[in-house]
Amino acid sequence: MNGNTGILISIRKRLGNFTLEVDCNIQEKVTAFLGASGSGKTTILNCISGTLSPDEGRIAFGNQIYYDSETNINVPPDKRRFGYVFQEGNLFPHLTVEKNIRYGQSRTNRKNRDSITQVVEILEITELLERYPNQLSGGQRQRVAIARALAMEPRLLLMDEPLASLDGGLKSRIIPYLHHIKNAYEIPIIYVTHAITEAMALADRAFLLDDGKVTTSGEPYQILASPSALPIAHLTGVENIFSLPVASSDKMKGITELEIGGQQLVIPYIDVEIGKMVPVAIRAEDIIISLEPDLPISARNILNGTVDEVDDQVMLSILVEGQRFSVKITHEARQQLQLDKGKNVYCVIKANAINLLWHDT
Amino acid sequence: MRITSAEVAALLLSIKVSLFSLVIMLPPGLLVGWLLAKHEFRGKSILNTLVMLPLVLPPVVSGYLLLILLSNNGPIGRLLSEIFNIEIIFTPFAVVIAISVISFPLLVRGILTGISSVPTELENAARTLGASPLKVFFTITLPLAHRGIIGGIILGFSKSLGEFGATIMVAGNIQGKTQTIALAIFNAVHLGQDITAFRLVLISTILAFISIWITERITISNNHI
Repeated sequence: MNGNTGILISIRKRLGNFTLEVDCNIQEKVTAFLGASGSGKTTILNCISGTLSPDEGRIAFGNQIYYDSETNINVPPDKRRFGYVFQEGNLFPHLTVEKNIRYGQSRTNRKNRDSITQVVEILEITELLERYPNQLSGGQRQRVAIARALAMEPRLLLMDEPLASLDGGLKSRIIPYLHHIKNAYEIPIIYVTHAITEAMALADRAFLLDDGKVTTSGEPYQILASPSALPIAHLTGVENIFSLPVASSDKMKGITELEIGGQQLVIPYIDVEIGKMVPVAIRAEDIIISLEPDLPISARNILNGTVDEVDDQVMLSILVEGQRFSVKITHEARQQLQLDKGKNVYCVIKANAINLLWHDT
Repeated sequence: MRITSAEVAALLLSIKVSLFSLVIMLPPGLLVGWLLAKHEFRGKSILNTLVMLPLVLPPVVSGYLLLILLSNNGPIGRLLSEIFNIEIIFTPFAVVIAISVISFPLLVRGILTGISSVPTELENAARTLGASPLKVFFTITLPLAHRGIIGGIILGFSKSLGEFGATIMVAGNIQGKTQTIALAIFNAVHLGQDITAFRLVLISTILAFISIWITERITISNNHI
């Protein structure tokens, strides 16, 4: 043990025909496990939380061992102090929001009125404290669930698709709260999701899970570049995700320019320092392919690149300054424009079709 | 047409033994209901069968088996009379034992239904929030299972009030001592005392009515769940 402060998850668990087998050493603050449903994401979290026992292996955090099949250590979930935010919230329906939040607090904190002030303020649920869970909207319920897990002052925060049950608009409204938590609390977070956008927005490192095994790991946007991430990208419906530095920003014109190699990507204005990385997402069907650069059109972005790959699903893979763009076209268009490997093309993208995943204000 | 003291005694005895039986059977009822609802263990189906057996056996048969066990020659009865010098047969305590055995399956059924309806995810969530299994049981499982538990209590209690077959086997029909309201009705009809029988039937009906009404009140009062 050379002063290891990381989280070690090296476990095997069989559930029917499915076998989870992972061996990860986590050093980052926010880690995401990315995978489709059935890939074993929730099983990992259940094993870490102690609500499910692995068949064999070892789970450790810092110098504390929570599970070790060799020495028969298996710390019960109530002794681990790992906050767990569940996909469906799992709020206690017979308790008010405040009692839910205080459920995991120590006896001294429970009597202390101020002990939940910070978390309640960050998540903006002060007005909801007297309500019961069935009087909350989906987004409010998830925020309360997050507050409840944080109020117990956990050593580690586990989040199981906390946004999955929310619709698109709500999702993007909760992500800033999660970002806030990442900055306000010193605890590591393990986040499980099938949405690359969420992983991009929050995680410092991501593990790609497929059928119970880790296939790739790295920074989230690096993972996206790997071929094994494609099915997940399609699942989310956003095929192109990049992390790009801000080149310039003009409030008067209402635009911000991001740098992509030597070229510029124009997006609606955001208030971000120059040089900062911002993650953006573009849907494959929002990109138009042109053979000419000088077009009398309104779209702000005309990026030069070359066709790298064409697959039968009418998905084009275009390299722009080393970044890979996936573009959806029709079969006819492909034939008419003769889009074959190596062809020089221009990707036309409306500024408004570029979605900002997250930025620090 | 005044109610006689014998009738009052029968009514009071019924209520007393039923309440007493409820108090002693509730803790084991909760334990067994919880074990059957939330746990997998060897012999689970045997435990389930044993608990539910009195529900299908004719009460007279259950009463007869109890009589064999508890009489002075029976294994339990002998032990009690030799060591503690206690005789159970034909005492109010025998009534309590008889109605407890008969009503226990109904009590457990209700508790089992109530506890099964509590999502395990909520209990797991409570565990991750630092609650011991015991705390989870009292702060999450019990409150969320309260409908089923109250249902089981009312059903079991009502069954106790009206129990006849097993009671008459082990406790007899001694006026003022072991004669419950059901036995008193039987007696009255047997002796042709139609007015007495009618009064007791009316009282029984009112009791049943009240217990159902209480159940409804309690279950409606908490509408957050």
